[in-house]
Amino acid sequence: MTVRVNKRMARFANDSVTVMNGVDESGVSVYLSKGGRRVLGGSSNPEGGSLERFLGVLYKSLLSLPKDPKHVPLPPRAWSFSPRPDHDKGLGSEGLVADSAMEAISSARGAGARRSAGSVETSVLSHYLLTSNGTVGRETSAKALLNVRAFTSKDASGHGLSCSSSARDFRPGEAGRTAGEHAKRMANAKQPEEGEYSVLMNPTVAANLLSLLGEFASAFSVEAGTSCLTGKVGKKVASEEVTLIDHGKTPGCLEGRTFDDEGQPTQSTTVIGKGILKGYLHNISTAKRFKTKTTGNAGIIDPGPWNLEVAAGDSTYEEMVSEMKKGVVLTSNWYTRFKNMRTGEFSTVPRDGAYLVEGGKVKGPLRGMRLTDTLGRMFSSVRMLSKEREWVQWWEVDTPTKCPWVLADGVSISRAYGGAP
Amino acid sequence: MRGTRTQKYRPSFVARPLMREEYHDLAELFVREATAAGASYAEARIHGGTGCGFLLKNGDPEPPIIEDSFGIGTRVISNGAMAFNATNILTRERVRELAKAAMKMARSSKPLVKDPVMMDDSKPSKKRVLVAEKEPVEGADPNWLKALLVELDKRVVGRHEVKIANRLLVASGGAEEKYYVNSDGAKTSSRVPRLGFFGIFTAVLGGETAQRIVQQGETGGLEIVKRIGLFDLVEAEAGTLRKVLGTARKPPTGVMDVVLGPELSGIAAHESVGHPQEADRILGREGAQAGESYLDKDSLGFKVGSPQTFVSDDPTIKHSNGYSPVDDEGIEARKRRLIVDGRVTEFLLNRSASVKIGAKNNGASRSTGFDREPIIRMSNTFVEPGDYTTEELLKEVKDGIYLKSFTEWNIDDKRLNQRYVGLEAYRVRNGEPKELVKAPVLEITTPALWGSVKGRSRRLEFEAASCGKGDPIQGIPVWTGGPDTLLSKVRMVTR
Repeated sequence: MTVRVNKRMARFANDSVTVMNGVDESGVSVYLSKGGRRVLGGSSNPEGGSLERFLGVLYKSLLSLPKDPKHVPLPPRAWSFSPRPDHDKGLGSEGLVADSAMEAISSARGAGARRSAGSVETSVLSHYLLTSNGTVGRETSAKALLNVRAFTSKDASGHGLSCSSSARDFRPGEAGRTAGEHAKRMANAKQPEEGEYSVLMNPTVAANLLSLLGEFASAFSVEAGTSCLTGKVGKKVASEEVTLIDHGKTPGCLEGRTFDDEGQPTQSTTVIGKGILKGYLHNISTAKRFKTKTTGNAGIIDPGPWNLEVAAGDSTYEEMVSEMKKGVVLTSNWYTRFKNMRTGEFSTVPRDGAYLVEGGKVKGPLRGMRLTDTLGRMFSSVRMLSKEREWVQWWEVDTPTKCPWVLADGVSISRAYGGAP
Repeated sequence: MRGTRTQKYRPSFVARPLMREEYHDLAELFVREATAAGASYAEARIHGGTGCGFLLKNGDPEPPIIEDSFGIGTRVISNGAMAFNATNILTRERVRELAKAAMKMARSSKPLVKDPVMMDDSKPSKKRVLVAEKEPVEGADPNWLKALLVELDKRVVGRHEVKIANRLLVASGGAEEKYYVNSDGAKTSSRVPRLGFFGIFTAVLGGETAQRIVQQGETGGLEIVKRIGLFDLVEAEAGTLRKVLGTARKPPTGVMDVVLGPELSGIAAHESVGHPQEADRILGREGAQAGESYLDKDSLGFKVGSPQTFVSDDPTIKHSNGYSPVDDEGIEARKRRLIVDGRVTEFLLNRSASVKIGAKNNGASRSTGFDREPIIRMSNTFVEPGDYTTEELLKEVKDGIYLKSFTEWNIDDKRLNQRYVGLEAYRVRNGEPKELVKAPVLEITTPALWGSVKGRSRRLEFEAASCGKGDPIQGIPVWTGGPDTLLSKVRMVTR
């Protein structure tokens, strides 16, 4: 499979562009299999006979390997994937990243920010797949990602994102304004008291935690003992408000694929349906071991989600806040780490706009806290989701995730020893 | 590695010389073309290498992965506007186009540049870095790596009541090569071979589980396995995990004395000293991603710790995972004394940050590949050893905790509010480590942590890690390390 990526990025800090980035890269991924032996190769060194030499090394390595008795060959059926090109060519326009950076900076300033930092990236990604059994696939996707953080002081910041597969729906101004408004509201933020709170997570925060749950649905993670979904198919893993679906391709998705790395068709797979774990994400090898069919999520070694969608609820932000007795509203987080991926015990650090809620009313801004829980407990306590949803992909969310606001109860909030940081 | 394993599994192939000679000409061509087009500064870095990785899951092999990558990463400055442009199409025609496109990108962004980028007058290096390998790293072919992992897996499994039911073991070997030139006269090259091991072990007893992530890595050849005693190390980790699951008790909570082992000293040095002293964070350049710093550019001399706090970052340590004696701006790097006597003494710098901070560059610019811009990075960050033995240090603790390893950890983006959850942790009574305690939590601010340092042991140990920073993100190899560090009167909590 050849993969070509063309990326443009403008990075900015203190309202000034720090660097313009351009990358034009072509790579080849190769999967060789013969007589129960398998090897994978990746080369981005395609010039002057390098690829031929590389394939020679790969083939020699393949023959040197012992047979793997558990090897599962790819099925003989040949597929042809040639979806109508539907990516937005407007995302390749030269001035888009610089213009969008400018728009985000000025919107943030207009909303009260003293300075902003961030990045705007557009990328066009093309895959071309050819297999020895005759499968052919071509696909191109495009997306634009904006991540902006606005500051009114060192301790008062706000975050905004816009992630879109079309230039029409890309809204750098809106993201900049959101970041600027939070930065303004965060002045004089205080540390919360330690204890249990209801937590209302905006799509950015909820997508971080729910995308991790989607990634734990990989059958590879289950086998490796690095998934809190191990042994839970058919069981309740979240409240019945929670439905999580993986799509190879769906309207508006950021990284659409109609075929996977094994040349099998992708599909929409319900991972969690009304709180019940419906199944894992598979490639051909894991599917055989789990006595099921591939879900079209290869990775030759590690199947994984393509584009996750969290089903919408029927609430508005205002209705969700009004249902919170003692809670916090979070609009960004980072550094989610697990004590044990098998149990799902984690903590994460909220940052940027965060607010105390008491008696259904948003009170003052909060900072200097940490959220600690297990994924299973937290998502079993979800009682409301918003109608409104957004696509999220940034530093803290690898898998593109369309996510609503999510309200969970009984979440532990702590703060560090040593006084207000 | 024990015994004669490296002889028995002799490499089955040795790769060709990695970088082709004509690639050097392409780097020089770029600098000429960009300079002729009006760049006040131009650089080109041919960067790539080959490598092989192998994964064993619960004893079963996955297909090996062999990689081969080369490309050119370039930067230009035009009227204070900087552009980075990269491709792996290595032809003269494409490199000429790259120079034109880079200049166009820089010029087009000029109206948006309020804070011009300037390079300092650091002495350009002409150094060639070649890391010695007793046994060439190209010998880390699929069969060698598989044999290594199969033996390690046997050591982890053993015959025990507490099972390590899930084992994810990954080994990789490869060589990274660079050729770098810039318009200020730097011309450097390097070949850095590296061997790495990563494992996730999950122990199961009844309905309970415990998990440990182990990472080791050094620069050099296949001899690394023997040098670091990888088999014994991994076997010991598995044994400890079993004991933790089988015997660890509820930890004490409250304010007490705590000894951090080298692993904890190292992660704390990396997260709450190294990162906040990266000058690009201080200047706000990473504000939207990795964050900023609680320090500002006038913080040199700021008291952050007790007089017993000494933390350094040293890219020149032989065999180290973060070995980078010449940086990716063509500057010879040196050891940086980040904290001395509890005071901030130096930031991590590159050429442009040196100008803005007004300090002498110390060569901390690194990139993970041709398609990533060089940015300020740590190399090997550690708490400096002291003059206690470990036993003497523990004798200072009447009733406290000895934290030898950790699982979950994180820190806020200003690097003030951090948390480390212990895995191998002992109750200390009257100076003696006693029973294992389960998941004690140190959640503490940076000044409280370093302000409580009372003593440090003589031994200095390192762990390998991959440090993430930048946009697009770059995971760069580093070491974190230190001695045993005694913290006086800190609050411990539990999950």
